[in-house]
Amino acid sequence: MIKLLQIEFKKIRTYKIFWILTGLYFVFFSAGILLAEFMINHMVNNINSRMPIPFPHVAIYYFPDVWQNVAFFASIRYVLIFPAIIMIILITNEFTYKTIRQNVINGMSKTEFLVSKLLIILLIAVIMTLILAAGAFFIGLSHSGFNEVDFFTKGLPFMGGFFISLLCYMIYAFFCGFILRNTGLAIAIFTLYSLIIEPVIYFLFRAPFMFKNTIYTYLPVNTVIRLNEYPAIPMLKKLMGLNLQDHVSLTACLVPMAYSAIMILLVFVIMKRKDL
Amino acid sequence: MAEPILNVENLSKSFGKIKAVNQLSFEVTKGQVFGILGPNGSGKSTTLSMLLDLIQPDSGSFMWFGHDPSKETRKRIGSVIESPNFFPYLDAVTNLQIVADIKDKQYDDIPEVLQMAGLYERRHSKFRTFSFGMRQRLAVASALIGSPEVLILDEPTNGLDPQGIAQIRDIISMVASRGTTILLASHLLDEVQKICNYVVVLRKGVMLFSGNVKEVLAVSDSIELSAADRQGLIAAIREFPGFSSLTENDGIIQVHFSIPADTAVINSFLAQKGIILSHLADKKRSLEQHFLELLQDTK
Repeated sequence: MIKLLQIEFKKIRTYKIFWILTGLYFVFFSAGILLAEFMINHMVNNINSRMPIPFPHVAIYYFPDVWQNVAFFASIRYVLIFPAIIMIILITNEFTYKTIRQNVINGMSKTEFLVSKLLIILLIAVIMTLILAAGAFFIGLSHSGFNEVDFFTKGLPFMGGFFISLLCYMIYAFFCGFILRNTGLAIAIFTLYSLIIEPVIYFLFRAPFMFKNTIYTYLPVNTVIRLNEYPAIPMLKKLMGLNLQDHVSLTACLVPMAYSAIMILLVFVIMKRKDL
Repeated sequence: MAEPILNVENLSKSFGKIKAVNQLSFEVTKGQVFGILGPNGSGKSTTLSMLLDLIQPDSGSFMWFGHDPSKETRKRIGSVIESPNFFPYLDAVTNLQIVADIKDKQYDDIPEVLQMAGLYERRHSKFRTFSFGMRQRLAVASALIGSPEVLILDEPTNGLDPQGIAQIRDIISMVASRGTTILLASHLLDEVQKICNYVVVLRKGVMLFSGNVKEVLAVSDSIELSAADRQGLIAAIREFPGFSSLTENDGIIQVHFSIPADTAVINSFLAQKGIILSHLADKKRSLEQHFLELLQDTK
């Protein structure tokens, strides 16, 4: 297993596009996180200049809210597409350059090939989650004190939710790339589906106001996105009593995991049957 | 009895209605340089793909080193199949390290195989910067990692310039001289004849011949003659030592000999018999022509 990971790591270690896309992902969601408070407060100031009773300023970098907010910004649809594109490229490259054939010729089993790819997805998800958690920790620390230990750990499950989102979303992308085999086509279809088709379906079939919307439960990409659907904005809680999301639901995590499991199963079955 | 490396029994594969490989059987023993010869579309690549577990055979079986094929047997084989398959954005060394990792081999041989392929100076260049000839040589280099017991080559000189062809053939001869068993598929008769010592000839997935290269592809030279006195010429040439057969075509008589015949000797021999030749030509049939005839014969 370690050996399979070593092989996969060699394939990406000096691959520029991999590092550029990974970098872009971090740049985008970091920009989101770091600019959000400033932007929101700028809006609040605008409103306050016309209102007799001023709204309070928003603070999103305090423990434990920072965990949820960082997870939210890192799993916005338009940002999460980056790691998905990375996975599509990594798998379709193997078909484009016929290296999957060469790997098998050289003595890798088809199963080992798939396992090595799934392992690298898992490793990337773990590493990215750790980096994100470290980032959230430092942001939180620089805004709050050390003394509130309970406060500090309370939001940690959101990092788990992010991990499941990222892992499952990359597995979806891997599946798409494996089925279509062509880099451009797979990226186009996956992006189109994730960013346009699903939101449109959701919009068309949304439930009337105040009714619980269940279509979220079934659309694969939505099941991923909704794990960290809302940021934590204390102002909303205080002012309107609205609490959009205060935990990551375990049952909600199971749905994308089930989708991923089915996709992985399909990939193994197809791989076994098809000639390379 | 030489140690068997590969046993193929009744291997068949169809793509739709086309029988790409039909009931193919042969055996390769240790140290042989074994050629699979056939025109394009004769089933050579399909056969090799099945032997490397890329394609599932419809029926039949094969054994490597006396074992059922598995990833472990594949690790003992070095292969160059069709185009060189490497990651264009990785350098030569990294590409070869991946191959070594998969084969459970150390990196020790990498400098050596790169040197053998004449690519050592370019070892840190990305694969995409390589010329076609260099790519093909890197493929051969990767096949040689870990000193495989068998080297499989599918059209290794296809599309190369004469210099590239010579380089690849030099590497193959060097490997063969170490006693490595080689399985080479080619549509070039000349290539098989230069490199191999044993051959199977395929046409439309069916094996036409198999045997020692010298026997199967033995080239019989012939001499073309004509004279005003046609009957006299035929009678006289039949008495020439080593005469085996003759054919007549447009007044030109083509004579085959079982031993090499010298035109000067024939000329004086016939002159002594009072035959004045109007045409005398030494016809060495080109190997390609011979190969085409070989395939024609069975139509």
